[in-house]
Amino acid sequence: MSHEGTLLIIIALLPFVGALVPGVMIRAGRTACAWFTAVPTALALIMLLILAPDVMRGEVIQAELQWMPQLGLSASFFLDGLGLLFACMITGVGLLIILYARFYLSGDDPMGQFYTYLLLFQGAMLGIVLSDNILLLLIFWELTSLSSFLLIGYWKHLPEGRQGAKMALTVTGAGGLAMIAGMLILGNIVGSYNLTDILQAGDQIKASEWYLPALILILLGVFTKSAQFPFHFWLPHAMAAPTPVSAYLHSATMVKAGVFLMARMWPALAGTDAWFYIVATTGLITMVMGALIALFKDDLKALLAFSTVSHLGLLTMLLGFGTQAAAVAAVFHIINHLTFKAALFMTAGIIDHEAHTRDIKRLGGLRHLMPITFLIGTVAALSMAGIPLFNGFLSKEMMLEEASHTKWLDSYYVVPVLATFGALLSVAYSFRFISHVFLGPVRDDYPSNPHDPPAGMWLAPALLCTLVIVIGVAPFLADGIVRAAASAVTGAELDPHLKIWHGVTPALWMSIIAVLGGLVLLLLHRPLDKAWIATPRPEAKAIFDALIMSVVALMRRITDATHNGAISRYLAIFTVASVALGWIAYSGSGLSAPTRELLPVPIVIAVGWVMLVVATVSVVVMHHHRFRALVLIGIIGLSISAGFVYLSAPDLALTQISVETVTIMLLLLALHFLPKVTPAESSGAMRFRDGIIALAAGGGVGALAYAFLMRDIETISDYHIANSYEGGGGTNVVNVILVDFRGYDTFGEIIVLGIAGLVIYALMHALLDGPAARRLKNTDYTQDRSRDRHPLMMVVVTRVLMPIAVVVGIYIFLRGHNQPGGGFVAGLVIAIALLMQYMASGFAWTQERKKIEYHTMIGLGVVIAALTGVGSWLAGRPFLTSAYTYVHLPPIEEFELATAMLFDLGVFLTVLGAVMLMLYSLSRIARSAGETVNEAAMDYDPGEHVEDAKGGT
Amino acid sequence: MNFVAELLISVFLVISGIFGFVGSYGLIKLKDSLQRLHAPTKATTLGVGGVLIASMIYFYAKTGHLSIHELLITLFLFLTAPITANFIAKAYLARNVNGEDLPDSATTYGWSVYDDPPENMPEAKDV
Repeated sequence: MSHEGTLLIIIALLPFVGALVPGVMIRAGRTACAWFTAVPTALALIMLLILAPDVMRGEVIQAELQWMPQLGLSASFFLDGLGLLFACMITGVGLLIILYARFYLSGDDPMGQFYTYLLLFQGAMLGIVLSDNILLLLIFWELTSLSSFLLIGYWKHLPEGRQGAKMALTVTGAGGLAMIAGMLILGNIVGSYNLTDILQAGDQIKASEWYLPALILILLGVFTKSAQFPFHFWLPHAMAAPTPVSAYLHSATMVKAGVFLMARMWPALAGTDAWFYIVATTGLITMVMGALIALFKDDLKALLAFSTVSHLGLLTMLLGFGTQAAAVAAVFHIINHLTFKAALFMTAGIIDHEAHTRDIKRLGGLRHLMPITFLIGTVAALSMAGIPLFNGFLSKEMMLEEASHTKWLDSYYVVPVLATFGALLSVAYSFRFISHVFLGPVRDDYPSNPHDPPAGMWLAPALLCTLVIVIGVAPFLADGIVRAAASAVTGAELDPHLKIWHGVTPALWMSIIAVLGGLVLLLLHRPLDKAWIATPRPEAKAIFDALIMSVVALMRRITDATHNGAISRYLAIFTVASVALGWIAYSGSGLSAPTRELLPVPIVIAVGWVMLVVATVSVVVMHHHRFRALVLIGIIGLSISAGFVYLSAPDLALTQISVETVTIMLLLLALHFLPKVTPAESSGAMRFRDGIIALAAGGGVGALAYAFLMRDIETISDYHIANSYEGGGGTNVVNVILVDFRGYDTFGEIIVLGIAGLVIYALMHALLDGPAARRLKNTDYTQDRSRDRHPLMMVVVTRVLMPIAVVVGIYIFLRGHNQPGGGFVAGLVIAIALLMQYMASGFAWTQERKKIEYHTMIGLGVVIAALTGVGSWLAGRPFLTSAYTYVHLPPIEEFELATAMLFDLGVFLTVLGAVMLMLYSLSRIARSAGETVNEAAMDYDPGEHVEDAKGGT
Repeated sequence: MNFVAELLISVFLVISGIFGFVGSYGLIKLKDSLQRLHAPTKATTLGVGGVLIASMIYFYAKTGHLSIHELLITLFLFLTAPITANFIAKAYLARNVNGEDLPDSATTYGWSVYDDPPENMPEAKDV
């Protein structure tokens, strides 16, 4: 990989690595925290600038890391003009936002969290604009939805914040799902998920019959993200976020992600009628409607939000035109909109921060009180209105120019007229922003005492305003980046020359009409506002909430019908479904004739089988008596273990016996606090139904096993047996399968086991507050308890057994790789040894003598297993490849050391921790039921007594 | 394998079979739990012991090495069987026998199943 490629990967990773820092650095103070957030951002920006000259020359920098090649997913990045423009915007504005947020957030806000979220978001955004693989892009796309959810809901105490965050996540997340489908279709058409390949296969894509579905699905994702009609409604509600978030996400970056993707996909998707009518029309509607609503919003941020919706519509429309000139205009407007809109959001934030209100009707006359803010706000708003010498004017002219010769259906008027109307409304709300907030007389009823904020707060917007004027006066300065980006968008070599004066063109007239019309609208604002308020309008939030509510209600009905809390119903549904699927598979399979003979049944085995059947039937008959049922279950377990031994599966037998022992012990302990009899709840008909289901399932499984045993089938076992010693270094195939061939499964399973242990603990915690706890407290267990809780004989014997059991455990653990045994069984054996101690001397007494928390043990187990797996990466092998060697230490015979043993150690620790945590959970019930803690290990300790006697004499 | 070894193994297996059978039969035949608990804990211990000795002889005759697995099993058996019997008896007492019906314990405190352990340890007699 080239030197530049490495830099690119570092740029993409920096924010994620950086996100680990602010949460820690907040302890060093708020300023230090801000600095440490700024460092990764600044580094990324600097690296981008290092790469910039190459990209501006037209080079494309690429870097690729294999991730999951089977899926076509690789962590590949590329940087072209468009990517560079966006990446610089993301990091550059990011820096300004970090500065601004340092002063904006109050002392009560958890700033470390904020900066962490911000960097996560930044990383996700950078990932989108740098991805060269559309699957990778989708991952980052969803990450922006998630991280923006955190940022919008940052003020968790505000219901608006929470609802806004939920709405944004729902809408953008749903769009993202649609986009995944679209992207997959696109990848299938082209046969590659690499963006660079897709961009070159534009003709192939447009010719495909799947073009339209893919286009619509991708556009759904784009339109939801970029708040296009009819999905625009989430953006104003997301304004409940802190203003730095609004300035960053909702003006500069996240909402532009949709626009970015349209620009990115432009060569592949644009240029067809479908593209033009869907994209340009949506953009046009959004632009006009957003501007119209913005004019009548009193909340400063809502005004800006709808204005953003409108400008995003403008960008969408330009990209929808599908011409190269329109693409240039779009790219240029992206830059311009970023500068003035971020500055305006920050201005709104300053006003809110100082005047304690964002309601335009309560503001006015601020130019005397906040001169600096006034200057910044006015410059930015004039640019938004599109007044000459500000940069907004330039791109708006280009937009109107493009609109003026665009034909929609057969009309040459629809687009220009509506575009002019949109521009007119834009002028009106921009002027309103200036005149109703800053101009007019000073009022005496502000909620607070407004004055200019400290420099830290106005520096960021001031810098952006400088850019507004510089680009506005000397647009040729932006030539380079616009050329690079626009060339990347269109895939053609473009050479635009940005200038202020284009001569007397239709666009100029449209502009003049817009400005004059905007002024008139502003003068008429008061009567128009009254009319607007009086007109009934659909409320997007109410519609959205109703929709969500109805979906929730529907889902609840389905869930309640299937999962009504009765475990018998879950099991019935699951079992019937499995049986039905099995039946379908069987009836369509055309099973071949059996190739084996039935073996003779030895008499001993037949007797054992009959006993097993009798025990099973007895459980069914007697299951209401729980102790009896438990004993019978124990018998079944032992019979099955004996069966395993007979069928030469000593590993399974060992595991079965130890699992059986542990379960029966824990169940016995649990049963002490449960009713001893299960009430008869099922009617006869239900029992009949359940009986049929059970017979069908049992018979089905039996038939399946029989069918397989009667045929010679090639299974993977042969491979395992052949490669166990060669590949895994162990002669015990079962163990090698567990720790090597299917090590990944085992790794997953121990995690599940650990989680199960923790969940039992957590559930028990909840249980101890509920009605079950009250029942426990009110039940008198004192009478059914023997007075000698910890008999001397039992205590002594368990102490004696302890070391023997531990030795057995270690022995089983060590031999596991080559002979029956292994970490799982060893964990259970040691757990049984410990369980005995707990039962003999009581939980609390024993608990005091243990040195390590069970939670820690589970964690350690998983971590050790994971580290063992990761270790094979260091040797350049896939995850969990085991290595082994033979060691000879003189006094003992040669023995084997395998990394699989370390993995097994992880399994061992997790099993032990999980079992002991379950025991701990049970003992908490006992304590809550009023069990007291004993101080001595046993009821009557002769040892102490001897000590006393000696001391006495 | 020589005849003596085979004979010895057979003898021990037959002995263990007899004890095992007696133990199992006793489990059915004896009247209540207190009587019944003798059957598996005593007779069957001997039964299993017979099998273990037979097994040791078998492996010694076959490989020439003394197998100590059986000793371990014996140790476990000797440790667990009495404790099990003890526990079954205690459980039976606690459930079915009224403490007041029992003879006096002849000390200042009652029988362990019915009475809490004494707070202060009594004088030791043998030390």
